[in-house]
Amino acid sequence: MELYKFLPKTNCKKCGKPTCMAFALDLLQGKVKIDDCTPLLESKYKKDYDKLKELLGAEEGKEKELRIDVDTDLCDGCGICVTVCPVNARYCPPTLSGKAPDYPPEKHQLFQVKSGKCELLNLQYCRRIEAEGRERECRVCETYCPRDAVKIDYV
Amino acid sequence: MGIQRVTCSGCSLLCDDIIVRSDGLYIDEILGACLKGKERFDQVLAKNRITTPLIKKNGELEKVSFNEALKKAVELIKNSSKPLLYGFSTVSCEAQLKGIELAKVINGFIDSNSVICQGRVLNKLKETGITLTTITEIINKADLLILWGANAAESIPRLLNKTLFSRGKFRMTGREIKTLIVIDPVKTASFGVMGVRDVALQIETGKDIDLIRVLKEECCKADSIPDKGVAGIDKDDLKRILLHLTGAENGVIFIGQGLLRPQSGEDVIKELLELVQLINVKQQKGRISIIMLGGHYNMAGFDHVALSSFGRNHSLLFSNNQLVETSETIISKIEKDDFDCSIIVGTDPISHFPSRLSKKLAKKPIILVDNKQSATSYVADIIFPSAITGIECGGLAYRIDHVPIELKKILNPPSNILTDEEILNKIINALREA
Repeated sequence: MELYKFLPKTNCKKCGKPTCMAFALDLLQGKVKIDDCTPLLESKYKKDYDKLKELLGAEEGKEKELRIDVDTDLCDGCGICVTVCPVNARYCPPTLSGKAPDYPPEKHQLFQVKSGKCELLNLQYCRRIEAEGRERECRVCETYCPRDAVKIDYV
Repeated sequence: MGIQRVTCSGCSLLCDDIIVRSDGLYIDEILGACLKGKERFDQVLAKNRITTPLIKKNGELEKVSFNEALKKAVELIKNSSKPLLYGFSTVSCEAQLKGIELAKVINGFIDSNSVICQGRVLNKLKETGITLTTITEIINKADLLILWGANAAESIPRLLNKTLFSRGKFRMTGREIKTLIVIDPVKTASFGVMGVRDVALQIETGKDIDLIRVLKEECCKADSIPDKGVAGIDKDDLKRILLHLTGAENGVIFIGQGLLRPQSGEDVIKELLELVQLINVKQQKGRISIIMLGGHYNMAGFDHVALSSFGRNHSLLFSNNQLVETSETIISKIEKDDFDCSIIVGTDPISHFPSRLSKKLAKKPIILVDNKQSATSYVADIIFPSAITGIECGGLAYRIDHVPIELKKILNPPSNILTDEEILNKIINALREA
């Protein structure tokens, strides 16, 4: 969001991305460089260009990896992340008390609650990696955790 | 053995989707259970588990055989004229029935935890009527959830997961189609699951009744909302709640402990039930129902067992092996010192009650039937260890929505440990023989 402020916000698609927001997200993850945005090189955006360079610093262009941290000290195993995750919801079988994860876990399943604590099984099917467009900006697990135990980060 | 789906007896929600991997001797893996449920399963091998019958001799608890403890207990009960039986909210319905039978045999007074908790709502609904619902219906149909004086995210961790977030048959998008309203004086963890359409109301302490009265008045005649708002809630928020309450297709109000404070009196519950009835009469397309949030897993069970066998849902007093009419409860009995020995089953009144009551309770001899050490076990005179219902023995339990659920046996109890039902049965038989 911080990076998006300094982009032209014209959605000109010259960089190959559908929107400036998508460009900002890829910029954060290090998939594109600032110079890929050609309108930004024009003289009227000079100030924004310098600001972006300053914000990103040496991290520009370095591939960053998605990481979801679950703080096991805060987590009380309510399983809201398991239920609310759209990937889990698509593949979990319906039971009498709503959709519930199966055993052994389905290969797409991201989260599971084991021994009263939430644990991350795998990340490769997360919407932030797999999906396209707006769905890519999914952060429901972080938003709805009542204990603020789930954190989405790029390192 | 192997992998099986079991019902968790950690709290009153009785989740039936817990996956347990076990070899018949130990539980190896628990999937899906919250921290509260996991603690319940861990109780099997916990350090504070009571494994042998104990008797207090010269101020110290000593290990004895079951028969010796039974003999001592029978002696104690025989010599008492006004025994008190209390607890029964963390045992199966079968054990509750035995408990009532024991009270009948010894002419005692029996009460459950329900009387200081959600049983008070049950008493009031006899005057006003109630609309109940089930958890499955909330999952599939509800579009409005109100947490009133309840911190569900911490007290019953999986409740919001099951009701608010799950995707049901007619509520396919789950969280997006359901609205949450939280009414609480304190900003609890339940405020953390708020979405954009939800309403969070921080009400002034003890002013719930004012809010209910304003809503009731508005239901009867339009534009009666005071300009300044009421109980710390402004006019716009009041209009929003009313809009949600009268516009919901299938709304649920979760009554928590906050509404049941003794200071706020009985009127709050009565007026809330009347408000729900008013809305349901006025509204054509949907309805509002009520769910009472209790903590112990079979609190609703005692009300059902007592009601079906003796026609009263709590506070049963027996004289000459017959039920007699009484207006007393466990609290007034202890306050008046109107007892000479107490039998506590599966609960911890010494730490639950205020200190002036627990001091009075601790002065008289206590017989405890429980599986773990607690404040009560330190002052008890005779302790019978019992098996953990839902893990080491089966039984019937009533969920918060008053639906009976069968609990399964997963493991064998440790040797020489009997179930609550068997212990109470042995006491009854020994009393009849003596």
